[in-house]
Amino acid sequence: MADKETVIGPETRISGEVRGEEDLIVRGRIDGKVQLTQTLTVEKGATVQADVDVRHLVVAGTVVGAIVASESVKLTSTARVVGDLASPRVIMEAGAAYRGRVDMGDIAAARAAVSARVVERPVAVEKPAVRPAPPRMAPVAKAVVVAKAAAPAAPPAPAPRPATQSAPSAASTPAPAAPPAFPRVAGATGAMSPAWAKKKIRRR
Amino acid sequence: MANTVIGSSIVIDGEITAEESLTILGTVKGKISVAQALAVEAGATVEADVEAQTVTVSGRLTGNVTARERLELKPDSKMVGDAKSPRIVIADGAGFKGNVDMDV
Repeated sequence: MADKETVIGPETRISGEVRGEEDLIVRGRIDGKVQLTQTLTVEKGATVQADVDVRHLVVAGTVVGAIVASESVKLTSTARVVGDLASPRVIMEAGAAYRGRVDMGDIAAARAAVSARVVERPVAVEKPAVRPAPPRMAPVAKAVVVAKAAAPAAPPAPAPRPATQSAPSAASTPAPAAPPAFPRVAGATGAMSPAWAKKKIRRR
Repeated sequence: MANTVIGSSIVIDGEITAEESLTILGTVKGKISVAQALAVEAGATVEADVEAQTVTVSGRLTGNVTARERLELKPDSKMVGDAKSPRIVIADGAGFKGNVDMDV
């Protein structure tokens, strides 16, 4: 019984401050402040309207508040998050909605700022349900697609020597992902250089 | 099985409202309102006014308790505060200080 995990059930609401040295799973709602030395998981349908200072944060539900995670933050596809975020590792999945500032650098400063905030004691009045901002950010990861080597067919720049007359035919062989420097290389090596020679020179 | 569990290293300062059952192994200060069963397990510390359907105390509870159905103090539990419930069970070995109101 001692190592029961902590779960805030779907019909439970906490207003105030939660501290601990274990994992915490939220399926219901927390308003106030959460400070953990382990992982905070905000499940789908759950709402945490709080300043959060944890080791790992995994969000599938809604979080509103300043977030500091000493190791990582993961916003899954159903996450709705509003608030500044400081963590060395930030993972956002496609579909995650986030508004705020991300800082992967100075965690200590962000933590100091968050912990300096005073928790207002819960007001009895029910606040309106959090209306998260619509997704306005495409997933960060995988956004950079390596440009396909579509360009290499472009004829190399006019070679300095007349001997390179036949260069274009050799150059137009599908050199995979030719770097932008290709024309220069072709000009320097001449048309007939074998592949290995090109490679060698390209490495320069 | 409790829907909400407050683990042994967790400290909550504030208010808990649950429309389900709640098990506390850690520390809670403030106010607790539970629609179903509240269990204060051994090792847990609660300093709060408590309202629930049934309250079972195995740990330490300081505050006024209203149990709509039943309040039970297990052996080695400690409770300080007023107890209000139609049925109250105090086991041998439990410590209790406060008023008892069984609505008679």
